[in-house]
Amino acid sequence: MKDKNSIIMLLFAFAVLLLAGCNSGSKQTEDALITDSVSTVETTCNGGTSLSEDSVSGAVAPEVKTELPVVYIYNFHVTNRCASCIAIEDATAKTLNTYFAPELKQGRIKRLVINVDDDANKKISEKYQAFGSGLFITRSYKGKETTTDLTGDGFKFARNKEDRFIEILKSKITEYLK
Amino acid sequence: MNVLGQKENDTIISNNPQNLKLKVLYFHLTNRCNTCRSIEKLVRETIDSNFTEQLKNGVVDLYILNCELPENTALAQKYDAYGATLAITAYSLGKEGKTEDLSNWAFQKAYSPEIFKRELIEKINDKIK
Repeated sequence: MKDKNSIIMLLFAFAVLLLAGCNSGSKQTEDALITDSVSTVETTCNGGTSLSEDSVSGAVAPEVKTELPVVYIYNFHVTNRCASCIAIEDATAKTLNTYFAPELKQGRIKRLVINVDDDANKKISEKYQAFGSGLFITRSYKGKETTTDLTGDGFKFARNKEDRFIEILKSKITEYLK
Repeated sequence: MNVLGQKENDTIISNNPQNLKLKVLYFHLTNRCNTCRSIEKLVRETIDSNFTEQLKNGVVDLYILNCELPENTALAQKYDAYGATLAITAYSLGKEGKTEDLSNWAFQKAYSPEIFKRELIEKINDKIK
């Protein structure tokens, strides 16, 4: 009887150890995924708009399975940001939340805010030749990508002539959604 | 080396309308970022190193302007310059010609100094030939 109890205790202890091991493993994986997402791309949540974690993979544009064109908006920035750079990001968020909320929800527009100083973002920054602040709009349709660089317009208008910048951005996104 | 474009006053104007063929204008905000400063530096270096004579003779004028200062408001509005803006305007016999906005180009090339300078030289030469 004593032996039987010992065996049961041993089996129980083994099961507990096994479960603990599994949990710690899955926690590590989860942590790693979250860290990777945060270090590669920052998501913005202005007006309730946010990117799903799985849409982020650092160097590669996130894939969205749809028969319609998908528009990717890349807000590149360095760690120490200037007022114009912040204004570009704010005006971009405002444009999307005001005029493209349904498309954001449907996943037809994806916005990524990327720190080019982060090593994890090297590949995507090099792809777009973004070594400082940059705003790029990419249309992805049937495996083909078309990109427009709106960095200059952003620096020119976003801070002191926001409406003008929003018009330019809105018009480009509308064109790329077709 | 006499660095014409880097005198204390940040604008080089010859006031020689008969000779003038091109105005190079760079507008910036009061609070500037590194990219904006780099563009100004590259513009100055390009002109200083390659168009010294044209600056002296008034064939090329260089303007570096803070678009947020009241005294520059009129010019900033004319050039649609509400932030960092690089523009070139052609002139012929005192008459103003076409303006080309190079802002998007400048921000694209600001991190490739050699390409920036080479292409800006081409653009300027094209206007003053």
